[in-house]
Amino acid sequence: MRYTFYPGCSLDATAKDFNISTMAMAAKLGLELPELEDWICCGSTAAHSSDPLLADALPAKNLRAAHGQTVAVACASCYSRLKMANHHIASDAAVRAKVAQVVGADYDGLTPVRHLLEILGRDIRGDIAGAITRPLTGLKVACYYGCLLTRPPEVTQFDDAENPTLMDQVLEIAGATPVDWPHKTECCGASFSIHDSSIVIDLSNKILSMAQAAGADCVATACPLCQLNLDMRQKDVEAKYGHRFKLPVFYFTQLLGLAMGCSASEVSLDSLVVDPRELLRSKGLLGNEAR
Amino acid sequence: MTPATTSPPTALSPPAASAATLELQVVGGSLAAEVKALSDASPMSCYQCTKCSSGCPVSGRGDLSAHELVRLVQMDQREAVLRCRFIWECTSCQTCITRCPQQVDICSMNDALRALSLSARLAPAETALPVFNEAFLNGVRRRGRIYELGLMAAFKLRTRRFFEDMDKAPMMFSKGKLPLLGERVGGRREREGLFRRAAEGSKAEADRAAEGSKR
Repeated sequence: MRYTFYPGCSLDATAKDFNISTMAMAAKLGLELPELEDWICCGSTAAHSSDPLLADALPAKNLRAAHGQTVAVACASCYSRLKMANHHIASDAAVRAKVAQVVGADYDGLTPVRHLLEILGRDIRGDIAGAITRPLTGLKVACYYGCLLTRPPEVTQFDDAENPTLMDQVLEIAGATPVDWPHKTECCGASFSIHDSSIVIDLSNKILSMAQAAGADCVATACPLCQLNLDMRQKDVEAKYGHRFKLPVFYFTQLLGLAMGCSASEVSLDSLVVDPRELLRSKGLLGNEAR
Repeated sequence: MTPATTSPPTALSPPAASAATLELQVVGGSLAAEVKALSDASPMSCYQCTKCSSGCPVSGRGDLSAHELVRLVQMDQREAVLRCRFIWECTSCQTCITRCPQQVDICSMNDALRALSLSARLAPAETALPVFNEAFLNGVRRRGRIYELGLMAAFKLRTRRFFEDMDKAPMMFSKGKLPLLGERVGGRREREGLFRRAAEGSKAEADRAAEGSKR
């Protein structure tokens, strides 16, 4: 299968491990993800919270450049902004005309946008089992979806908005044991990490505490900000709330890559702040490779 | 005269029947209309079931809860709304709109209220979101993509928060997550035009909404 890949800005830097592990996993699956040429930022939260037209125009410019081919997205925030722009433009001719004026060209809002989890869990689900060479047996994972994959459901049409299971299903095929827990779609505070981190620390505490209480060994994420907040700020949360989590926070693509036989460096495990090696070794999921 | 007619009016007294003394309370003034024109939200549809606040990740910490904010918009309490901290603490998580039985899009409403609050110069002094948004969008306009290191530097310079998260930058460097050089995409001139037209279009829209809500 072949999709035009829109990586988004985070995958160049803070989420480069998401990018590396996505490509490693895709190679194992024979999934082709050529990058959208000259893509630009989707505008993220900054655009929609300050300029509504810009928030639709930036995604429109990118989606138009895909020439009708299905666009694959890894970042939950990009996914949300591209889907929201499609929704606004396709459902309202006045918005479509205004956006066309801003972009300088008409866009119909119909370029299909798929998240990696939709591609894996729906489009090529049957290919996953055959690619698993090192099943994640005994690894209890809290699948954390965050806000923007599922909400609002009439825009994203991703999965059940309150209890999504796509990531659970995909990791289950890879041999892992997803735990049943209620904070799959709670908010981590997202980009408030930079300008008001107290919000992120409080919200991340609730998510990590619940994952731990549910008996998870680790958390799997599908969003650069969720991963960053739960991983990089885990020490801050521990310092403020006085309990110890030591919960590795993976991108789901890293776990899938490992299950498909990728090495630790091929899925960029070194980039994680909470070291996952001890856990992975204890489950026999990491060889004696140095890196 | 009977005692009943001489007793002072209470909250339970029937309203005065005379047309001359009847005063209609109009709920839903210009702010609700303006919000409706500027966002995907219809604040007047809210019947205060409070489901939004029950699921809101920041309702417990702000000065207002989500449903209280909507009520203030309905009652046209412009200043209280545009001065509140809650609109700046909303993380746009979309839980409220997902669960609202009346589809009142509070996240979208908050985007509109932030813009109104800024143009009325009523935003709380401590909120750093507008500075962050501006630094972010400037980066996108110039380079086409976000260069996270540059964004942090611009944000810290503008807000003078040099000592917050001092431990994070070295950690991110060592993990290879903060490259010293960011990506850049061509087409800057075209992008400048796109940003300018978007700003002009959104401004015209805001002016129309403000004008329309006065009628």
